[in-house]
Amino acid sequence: MASKKKILIVDDEQDILTYLSTLLEDNGYNTVLAKNGEEALKQMEAALPDLITLDISMPGKSGVKFYRDMKVDDRWKHIPIIIITGVSEDFKKFISSRQQVPPPEGYLSKPIEKEEILALVKKFTA
Amino acid sequence: MDLNYKQFFEVMPAYLTILDRDLRIIAANQRFRKDFGEFEGRYCYQINRHRSERCEQCPAERTFRDGLRHGIEEQFKNLSGQEVSLIVYTTPIRNEGGEITAVMKMATDITEIKLLQNQLRESRERYRQLFEEVPCYITIQDRDLHIIEANRQFREDFGDVLGCKCYQVYMHRTEECLPCSVKQTFQDGQVHQIEEVVTSRDGQQMNVLVYAAPIRDGGGEIISVIEMSTNISQIRQLQSQLTSLGLVISSISHGIKGLLTSLDGGIYLVNSGLEKNNQERVKQGWQMVERNVARIKTMVLDLLYYAKDRDPDLEWIPTLMVAEEVCELMQGKAKEYGIDFQCAFDPGAGHFAVDAKAIRSLLVNLIENALDACRVDKKKNKHQIKIRLKGYPEFVEFEVYDNGIGMDQETRERAFSLFFSSKAGDGTGLGLFISNKIAQVHGGEIKLESELNKGTRVTIQLPRKGPGSKPASPKPL
Repeated sequence: MASKKKILIVDDEQDILTYLSTLLEDNGYNTVLAKNGEEALKQMEAALPDLITLDISMPGKSGVKFYRDMKVDDRWKHIPIIIITGVSEDFKKFISSRQQVPPPEGYLSKPIEKEEILALVKKFTA
Repeated sequence: MDLNYKQFFEVMPAYLTILDRDLRIIAANQRFRKDFGEFEGRYCYQINRHRSERCEQCPAERTFRDGLRHGIEEQFKNLSGQEVSLIVYTTPIRNEGGEITAVMKMATDITEIKLLQNQLRESRERYRQLFEEVPCYITIQDRDLHIIEANRQFREDFGDVLGCKCYQVYMHRTEECLPCSVKQTFQDGQVHQIEEVVTSRDGQQMNVLVYAAPIRDGGGEIISVIEMSTNISQIRQLQSQLTSLGLVISSISHGIKGLLTSLDGGIYLVNSGLEKNNQERVKQGWQMVERNVARIKTMVLDLLYYAKDRDPDLEWIPTLMVAEEVCELMQGKAKEYGIDFQCAFDPGAGHFAVDAKAIRSLLVNLIENALDACRVDKKKNKHQIKIRLKGYPEFVEFEVYDNGIGMDQETRERAFSLFFSSKAGDGTGLGLFISNKIAQVHGGEIKLESELNKGTRVTIQLPRKGPGSKPASPKPL
């Protein structure tokens, strides 16, 4: 039997971390959680996930900075990232201002549909 | 009179008369007779002015007296009773012995010229009145930006400053502004528009919309520039209210999206817990639902609170608590930038009645500005931020000092204006504006001292009792 895929969930809202981790674990994934960019980096150093879901607006190291660090680092840039955010404008501005950073693999606007997130996670971890 | 001279006398395109010592008309040319009628046996004042007595100032009499030529401007009434404006010259006619026997009076009709002069004067007065009374500031400037003319409203608000440079008066600067709309107009002859913040002589700051247009001489060369500035402070205030509303809506909309996701999460946990008969999960999910419903309730109340003119939500809290919370939050950032961060708090600073959330954001805002000022300053090796808290009987004083890049006078004066930012693309122009608003709604005030390349000191005084009571020793901004 194949080992479970590991998903890193990054969001500053504890309730959303609980929701996404429960939903994904119910559907056969392992999850690790981070409340901001710094915590997410620590998780990355500890063990690479198969996919990251990332909020953009967070205190401390924001999702935008974390995303940029991921996508310019050879160790991490292959890991698919699904952006899950309530502020689409900031992220779009960031991407358009830095053309060397590729767009995210997936993008979902809050509030999210659980079928959508499951379909995207399945697609990028297949 | 010789025949030739008589012919000239007759056909001259002016009124010619010859008077004896009694001012009786003894000869008159054709034009005079036509417009003023027959003259035999009549006096000049009877015919010219329809008077029965001599005129008070009679040039003919003077010529009889002193033998010199005299000129005067007079109004005659012609046969049809119409007033005619004339320039009258009198010259003596002497006999062979040199004695003055008569005076020749030549009157030229200048009625049309007078009419044109009057029209020109009236037109000038109208334009002058328009220039003076138009409800905006108008100056006329030369190539060196000297104010060579200014209208009444400008003189009232900025003083009688003819001869001063425009930027000294409007901006209190020592160097010209960049860009300068007047200079641009001198260069390309086009109308230029710019928005500025200016300071009147009594220290009032205004947002003004400035138009500069060329004034050309007859040859088409630009000799000066007219600058018209309209006070748009009220529009800006309205805009600021709309902006605040926009910010609130944007922030609430972001918050609501997060809350809905969390509610979805709670519902998922409850449903899946029920399916799996997992009471712990149901409980956890239900708590999520309860928590997020409570947050939505708070958010809606916040929205209603912002929708009207916002009063601070006052709490009687320790000043030290607010200062320590904020400094703890900002210390990490300062460390990250290698900036020395010092706090000096008066342990007896006591309590004050404030909206803690608003005051926290005011202080965070000011400290973030101090961090930015240090971060962009490349002229010093070591940077320092000092936060001070001091309690007075009637008010509490916070001070945020930095030895960063500092501000010139213009930046200082514009610092609290909406949408003014000295941080190029990094600032929104909202921070200090909102901080100032927060201080004001608490009945307090913010004082700014800053010098370019040396540093900035921002002092915030907040009354202990909240709005309505002024600081004990208010200092002007």
